[in-house]
Amino acid sequence: MSVYTLVVTTPPHQNNTATALEFAQATLAAGHTINGIFFYRDGVLNASKLTAMPSDELQAISAFVKLNEDHQVPLHLCITAGEKRGLTDDQQTMNIHSAFTVSGLGEMVELSTNADKVIQL
Amino acid sequence: MSASGTTDLLAVINTQAPFATSHGKDALDLALIFGSYEQPVSLFFIGDGVFQLINHCDGARLSIKDYCKTFPALSFYDIENLYICEDSAKARGLQPDNFIDDAQLVSNAVFKAQLSKHKFVLTF
Repeated sequence: MSVYTLVVTTPPHQNNTATALEFAQATLAAGHTINGIFFYRDGVLNASKLTAMPSDELQAISAFVKLNEDHQVPLHLCITAGEKRGLTDDQQTMNIHSAFTVSGLGEMVELSTNADKVIQL
Repeated sequence: MSASGTTDLLAVINTQAPFATSHGKDALDLALIFGSYEQPVSLFFIGDGVFQLINHCDGARLSIKDYCKTFPALSFYDIENLYICEDSAKARGLQPDNFIDDAQLVSNAVFKAQLSKHKFVLTF
């Protein structure tokens, strides 16, 4: 069994994000561990509380939240990339989903040095 | 990865030209953090990514932060390995003297061999 770090760089409406979710679910189902999913570049948009996808399309954000709730997979958000894209952890205007941990690239170093495999989709 | 011979942690592959998108800057920011944590990281440039290492480029003229100026200074961050795919450079009419001194133009075989020394790969 291996320890995986996943890197998501695509927003909630792109197919690569759906692939990342399926990969994460399959990895856990096979008995491996995911020590964290790191969201970078447009991937940080998966943490927005304000995104509304049409009901017949993939609900990527709730799927990531479910991974966090059901399997305690940490969801790390690069806040520098987030702030460039309108996300904020300011108390008054907080628009980052509470399942996500506000982090920086240093966390990516931490995750990858403790992983057997790092996968970017 | 369990493959034998992996000595360095991270390879960052750059595939996009600078300035039109933020791929290059985001890749560099990531590499700099790994460097500052003293984790071995190498940069690879292929396809239009080779344009990032052209000398005398000036992003400031496009009202964009010129992150390319950091490339010649990467040795201060202990990032010594910058590999340019020779075939990609040739296909774009670029000569060895078009690139910054710190980068190495390498054949496909060397590019592949150096890449395989790394445990993880991230592509931008």
